[in-house]
Amino acid sequence: MLIQINNVTKKYQNHTALSHINLDIPSGIIFGLLGPNGAGKTSLIRILTQITEADEGSILLDGVPLNRTHVQAMGYLPEERGLYKKMQVADQLLYLAELKGIPNKEARQRLKYWVDKFEIKTWLGKKVEELSKGMQQKIQFIGTVLHEPKLIILDEPFSGFDPINAQILTEEILALKEKGATIIFSTHRMDSVELLCDKIALINLSEKVLDGAVPQLKEQYKKNQFEVQFEGQLNLNQDLFNLVTSEEKYGVQKISISTQNRISNREILNHLLQSNINLLSFKEELPSMEEIFIEAVKQKNNLHHAE
Amino acid sequence: MLNKTFLIAKREFLTRIKKKSFLIMTLVSPLLILLFYGLIFYFTVNKSIGEENKKIAIIDNAQLLKQDLENTKTISFHFESDQTEKLNDLLNESFGYYAVLKIEKNEAGEMIYQLLAKDQPSIGLVSTIEDKIEAKLKDEQLQQKGIDKALLSQINNTRVNIETKKLTDNGFEEGNAGLTTAIGFVGAILIYFFIFLYGVQVMRGVIEEKTNRIVEVIVSSVKPFELMMGKISGIALVGLTQFLIWVGLVAALSGPVSGLVMQLMDVNPTEISAMSQGAGAAGTENTSKFGSLMAGLSNLNIPLIVGLFTFYFIAGYLFYGALFAAIGSAVDNETDTQQFMFPVTMPLVFSFVLAQTIVIQDPNSTLSIWLSMIPFSSPIIMMVRLPFGIPPLQIFASMAFMIAGFVFTVWFAGRIYRIGILTYGKKPSYKEIFKWLFQKN
Repeated sequence: MLIQINNVTKKYQNHTALSHINLDIPSGIIFGLLGPNGAGKTSLIRILTQITEADEGSILLDGVPLNRTHVQAMGYLPEERGLYKKMQVADQLLYLAELKGIPNKEARQRLKYWVDKFEIKTWLGKKVEELSKGMQQKIQFIGTVLHEPKLIILDEPFSGFDPINAQILTEEILALKEKGATIIFSTHRMDSVELLCDKIALINLSEKVLDGAVPQLKEQYKKNQFEVQFEGQLNLNQDLFNLVTSEEKYGVQKISISTQNRISNREILNHLLQSNINLLSFKEELPSMEEIFIEAVKQKNNLHHAE
Repeated sequence: MLNKTFLIAKREFLTRIKKKSFLIMTLVSPLLILLFYGLIFYFTVNKSIGEENKKIAIIDNAQLLKQDLENTKTISFHFESDQTEKLNDLLNESFGYYAVLKIEKNEAGEMIYQLLAKDQPSIGLVSTIEDKIEAKLKDEQLQQKGIDKALLSQINNTRVNIETKKLTDNGFEEGNAGLTTAIGFVGAILIYFFIFLYGVQVMRGVIEEKTNRIVEVIVSSVKPFELMMGKISGIALVGLTQFLIWVGLVAALSGPVSGLVMQLMDVNPTEISAMSQGAGAAGTENTSKFGSLMAGLSNLNIPLIVGLFTFYFIAGYLFYGALFAAIGSAVDNETDTQQFMFPVTMPLVFSFVLAQTIVIQDPNSTLSIWLSMIPFSSPIIMMVRLPFGIPPLQIFASMAFMIAGFVFTVWFAGRIYRIGILTYGKKPSYKEIFKWLFQKN
């Protein structure tokens, strides 16, 4: 499902939650909505899920303005998880699917798939309050996707998951993508999404700071910085390279160098090998998502100050 | 839209009636209510139960009572001679007097009555003694004017028994003030308890969904208004089910229970038949009373009463239930509800109290008519007024106001609810809630 967010603004009584957000989210990808707490991620998600409405701007899903019929095509896992504590697991999941317009009979069929997959047959008759927190998380995830939504929105999906369950969740998200679903998920832990997301958008203080495909952003924000490990004596060409850091361990030197100009890796290696060293490793240091975020926010602030 | 509201109502209904507490409440609460009103009735009829027998010493220096005053059920009078130093002794335990009544004539020739006691005597006690003395003095004066004792007791036994007849399409028909009062009152009690018990359940349910955080998932599937209406109507169905079970229970049990009551009251069936067959005046009086009771019942417009009861039962619940839902949405936990509960429950309690006092005494007074128009009080007040006959125009007006009233409270509550359920943290002020009304989604 292709999502086009055009100039969306949302104001609350005392503050602006979103200010002129433009985003295009292609169909069938995993899209990361990144930003610190309070940046406006949840506000944007609540507008997408039609829990609230935008003050300005428009949202198109596959070219159609957002409307109530889209509710069925969406699955939403809010940041604050919750289920009816006194309700049995099966009843609860069927109820959530029915609210999304899936007839009870069909919901039962679909539930079988997840019951086998997560091996939860013995849980079905239990009340939610009898389950452990990890189990409840799984149930809630099934509740989010049981109606087979084309757009799945996960707000901080990994919070509260232990590493094993987080791994299971990651696999499920990738599997859903394989089946053609578009997945949006938000998080303030930016590094956690680098491997998972095809595209991301960074939001800070209600504004979009940047968006794009992860490799492209890394390319765009890389500082031409390289990590070299070697043994021996290196004579660094000071005109071409800056030494950023250096350390030595067990006779192995590990240095970071940056280049002023864009020169090819081949040329760099040629320069390095002019010295009599035993080169152990050479790799480009790409910025983490967090570093990109900090850099982008800095640039944006400078831009504001310049104005 | 209706489909989803129905799903929500269905869930509310099923989860609630499956609970054990539902069964227990359904069976136990009518017994408690019966017990409650039974006790009130019992104490009202047998006022003396709460009082102990009291001995009163009378020191009659004016020789007014001539050493003679009739005892009552709870007060016995004893005449004592006047010895000032003895006064304190009289109140001591050895004599066991509760109080000393001193009667003297002052210099102007006026009578002075003083009741001296260890504590403050109740108003009831004082007025009983006053009545006794007044009656005695009146009797004496009448006797002095030459009326003999037999004639006097005949005069004192004068009783007036008014039959009530109401103007209907068939002319004046026999009514029964006691029965109509009872029917109206039962209706009012049922509506009052229903609104209260289930209104609070709506509020709790909303708070529960909010604290569980399930509400955000639900409102990503349905509109907040649908969720609210589903919850209110689902709980209403629980209430109606409970009500129907009660009606069924009453129908099934009324036979055996009334038999039991008869037994407890020592009424022997043969005595009853003997009474009705006997030529004594008492017998005929009893049968005629029973006849008039049945006549009164048959003259009540039962379909109208049942129809209007159902209407006010449901409309009143919707009116208040929506407000309770709004309260639940505005807070995070039940302890915060107190402040908002007060303005909602106050008119309910207020109309219930007025129904038992002012309205039942004069069901067609201007105040009663106005109270039956205002939706805050009309469900209860109309029930009390109904058996006494209400002009059709007033019924229509009251129903119209009621419908307008609940449409308004449902709208009002819906506006608060949609913002409230997603607002956590500090308890909002009235001012903030007022702002929510006009806030955009």
